[in-house]
Amino acid sequence: MNIFLQVVINGILFGTMYGVAAIGLSVIFGTMRIIFLAQGTMIVLFAYLVYWLWRLVGLDPYLSALIVVPISFAVGIGLFYLLFKKASALEDRNVSLLLAVGLMYMVDNLLLKAFSANPRYVKTDYGSLTFHLGGINISFVRLMALVIALIAAAAVYWFLKRTLLGTSVRAASVDMEATRLLGINSYWVAAVSFAIGIALAGTAGVVMASVYSFDPNYGFTFAIKALIVLALGGIGNVWGALTAGLLLGVIESLATYYVGAGWSDAISYAVFIMVLIFLPQGLFGARTVIKKV
Amino acid sequence: MANQLLEVTDLSAAYGDVRALSGTSLSVEAGAIVALVGANGAGKSTLLRAISGQLTRTSGSITFAGIEIKKHTMKQRVELGIVQVPEGRRLFPDLTIYENLRLGATLREPRSHMRESLERVYGLFPVLRDRQNGKAGLLSGGEQQMLAIGRALMAQPRLVMIDEASLGLSPKLTRQIFELIGVLNEQGTTVLLVEQNIHMALKLCSKAYVIQNGRVIMSGSGEDLLADADVCKAYLGQRGSRIA
Repeated sequence: MNIFLQVVINGILFGTMYGVAAIGLSVIFGTMRIIFLAQGTMIVLFAYLVYWLWRLVGLDPYLSALIVVPISFAVGIGLFYLLFKKASALEDRNVSLLLAVGLMYMVDNLLLKAFSANPRYVKTDYGSLTFHLGGINISFVRLMALVIALIAAAAVYWFLKRTLLGTSVRAASVDMEATRLLGINSYWVAAVSFAIGIALAGTAGVVMASVYSFDPNYGFTFAIKALIVLALGGIGNVWGALTAGLLLGVIESLATYYVGAGWSDAISYAVFIMVLIFLPQGLFGARTVIKKV
Repeated sequence: MANQLLEVTDLSAAYGDVRALSGTSLSVEAGAIVALVGANGAGKSTLLRAISGQLTRTSGSITFAGIEIKKHTMKQRVELGIVQVPEGRRLFPDLTIYENLRLGATLREPRSHMRESLERVYGLFPVLRDRQNGKAGLLSGGEQQMLAIGRALMAQPRLVMIDEASLGLSPKLTRQIFELIGVLNEQGTTVLLVEQNIHMALKLCSKAYVIQNGRVIMSGSGEDLLADADVCKAYLGQRGSRIA
């Protein structure tokens, strides 16, 4: 029983990153109508930023979040106006999608060239700190990952529900033309929601650097895992995405422990396909693609 | 002419190869209710889209309060005071009524007068106040039309352009909506109406234009057009088919 509980808790703590990445995909999908496949690459990019800030100036990864998250937001605004603004106005969404794929491969390869494929990790005093609670081991950095994910989800939820700009994002996700008729600058709204997605990649990057060793190849895998989570949670649902992320973490953790390490990816893709076939609206039953936040 | 708020001169527009407007001219006096009537596909909605800036590939001129606005973005036109209530209402169904209204007042000026505008809208449409935390998608057709008009009023428009306010509504509800349009006009908002319910539109408006194949073929006071045998024959006779 204790082992089962331990495996489940490990899964939950591992799934936090999936959840944060999926919230980002969901917010970006709302206004841009594409699955932003470069999301995983962005996570790795910002994980490197955390790594180098630690390596070069000795900045603690959690403190560097205060720099990395705003930087990633600014990068998001810049990327939108540089790459996606024109494409976002086109009826054909494939142009934006292909731009995202191009961006993914470009950044992936730049990272490989610049930083090599050697795994990197941030070594901190608390990296191996573990709490023991009734026979269960909980790693401090992984618990922090959960805390960060909850804060990020709450912040996005608050923004979407409680601010005028967030309300505009929700409205534009349903009917962008109608927001334009009210004098709302739909490019700015799309830019902000894209930047929130990238800021969430920055957040996940902090988690990645503080908990795991990573290399440039993680990017694509993470984008696909986030896509699975998005399918599970239903698009346009912040808490659904986070919960689904934790759930995928648990599934993978159970698969690794009880079936075998090599099986976890195959099982999570099988779950992906099953969900698409049998529960196309996701587990939490959002009525249509973008309905609920 | 003095005090024309909106002046459209020789406006032409096309969707691909299909000509939707050919040399249309009209003017809307400040404080008036002006109706555009005509059959389906005559070009009425295209005209509104050109004025609001949804349609930009046009030739001719559009001036608002003396300013040429053809190069203005949609946002700039809303800032000047032109707000369109689109056909089909285009509400945000999963947002609350209050949130829908709030989105009407995102620009700087209207935002600083949010409270007053909200009181005005709730005064006109008390049902919206009662249900302000309910989802817009749960409103009845008539209430949705009220919300669509109310949302436009939140932007403090000088000119509100309403596209097919009666669409899908019973005659009784249509009459109620038209009465309320009369009231908001008395409060000082100029109204440009596009309507297929010609009888009611002509009774309400001070001036009307009959549009056919993208041209103005007739204009005059609503009463004159109502009395005009040609208009009656050409359009009022088809009233029964306007839903189809």
